Amino acid sequence: MALKPPPPSRFRPGRRSSFARRDSNLALLGALFAGVVLAFALLLLVVQRINPEAGSRMRGATADALSPIIAVLRAPVDAGRRVGDTIRDHMQVVDRNRELEASLKAATARAGKADVLAAEVQRLEALISLKRPERRVVASGVAAANFSAVAGQRDAILSAGLSDGVRPRMPVIAAGGLAGRVTDVGAGASRMMLLTDGSSRIPVKVLRTGWTGLAVGTGGTLLEFQYDIASGSDSIRVGDRLVTSGDGGLFPPGVPVAVIIDAEASPPRARPLANPTGLGPVMVEAPWLAPPAFVPAAPAVAEADRPVAPAAAAPGTAPGTPSGAAPAQGAASPATTPARPQAPAPTRP
Amino acid sequence: MSNLHFDDDITGDGLRRFVPAGTILLSLVVMMLPIPLAWAVMPHLALLFIIIWASIQPRLIPAWAAFLLGLFADFLFGLPMGVWAVVFPMAVIVVRLAETRVEGHSLVIDWAFAAVLLLLAQLLAWQLLDFVGRTPAIVPTLAQAAITILAYPLAASIAARIQRRLIDVGA
Repeated sequence: MALKPPPPSRFRPGRRSSFARRDSNLALLGALFAGVVLAFALLLLVVQRINPEAGSRMRGATADALSPIIAVLRAPVDAGRRVGDTIRDHMQVVDRNRELEASLKAATARAGKADVLAAEVQRLEALISLKRPERRVVASGVAAANFSAVAGQRDAILSAGLSDGVRPRMPVIAAGGLAGRVTDVGAGASRMMLLTDGSSRIPVKVLRTGWTGLAVGTGGTLLEFQYDIASGSDSIRVGDRLVTSGDGGLFPPGVPVAVIIDAEASPPRARPLANPTGLGPVMVEAPWLAPPAFVPAAPAVAEADRPVAPAAAAPGTAPGTPSGAAPAQGAASPATTPARPQAPAPTRP
Repeated sequence: MSNLHFDDDITGDGLRRFVPAGTILLSLVVMMLPIPLAWAVMPHLALLFIIIWASIQPRLIPAWAAFLLGLFADFLFGLPMGVWAVVFPMAVIVVRLAETRVEGHSLVIDWAFAAVLLLLAQLLAWQLLDFVGRTPAIVPTLAQAAITILAYPLAASIAARIQRRLIDVGA
């Protein structure tokens, strides 16, 4: 820099003979420095391989910094979409109204049946004292899907962060269905991986058949449904709905994920129900099952077989009921059976 | 486009020195904007500008600056640290080595060279991601490389204009 006529390039030695030595020295030094920088970058990569959590705070901080920019830039896009929606609604208002009234009638009929079934399920669950973990909404915010700047990676910035209780791994659910999971958390914003991301795997099941599998992101718009073929008599059909199965304990079961649109492809293709390019308002839930905290406990001792009394076995429906559960059931059923006919009475009308 | 290359070295004084890094920073943010399109069709503008600036203003994009920009890109894109932080300085070094060998520039030759470099850089980034344990699909990677190559003339003309307006002023 101090030289009056600066050397044209550090990498072009020998242009001016008077500066040749200095030039080559500079070039050597520059190359050395570049090598050191590269080595440091590679070291970072190795650190990241050993500890994938490293740098998570910085990633969260950039999400924080990006969130207001995105909020400003979202405004015209959202406004445009709203104007389009309004115009479309006005054009089709009569048709829509008729359609909705018809579907409302059908839905009320179905809702009545569903109430009865729900009551039934509740009673049966109380009978076996089933412990059902509760879903808990942690925060809600607005998610803006980013352009996938990295090929195959689909993520979004979420307008809720550490101060709202958001933590990495938490499932994110949009109005249409499951949207993805939180990956990095900043103070007031966080980054989420969309379910269409190339490395997203969501345990799902087919609602109609009960088959379980994985909804695998492709980096594009569609999901692949990977599953083991369970039986030859049935097959995946177009229109089959995929819901979360709850396997793995992260995503709560029963959240709509996708609908099969191409059953011939192998694996079948599904379209996510929550449009990942325009999520809008979303909810962040706590992981469905907390990871178990193991405590030392003595292993269970095998119970001794008890002779089954012939009088008790006769009214039982299944002859092969495990003997260990028999006394508990015997004690509970006299108390609950008289209550049973009374319970459905108020729900029937 | 023959005026893309300037033989006389103009190291801008003051703020002008940061113009190339600034454009790269800006293109990184632009790549992250939520533009509602279905497929991943965003060219890797930052990588493109790294290659172009390293070719026309090598002094204003030293390897360490490319490293810092790459590190910022990793944080911004939510990637493991070190993916673009390796690829960006490596691209700068390769461009410089090539500049010492080849004299004279034409759009076609520059474009062909940039195309090879962009493809290699994308594949390297793909391999590095694989090393860290996140394997992205290869098809979107190649699609992005192709679109980035197609965007080269546009980015080169933008860079040349910036060079004339902002860096080259009064020199």
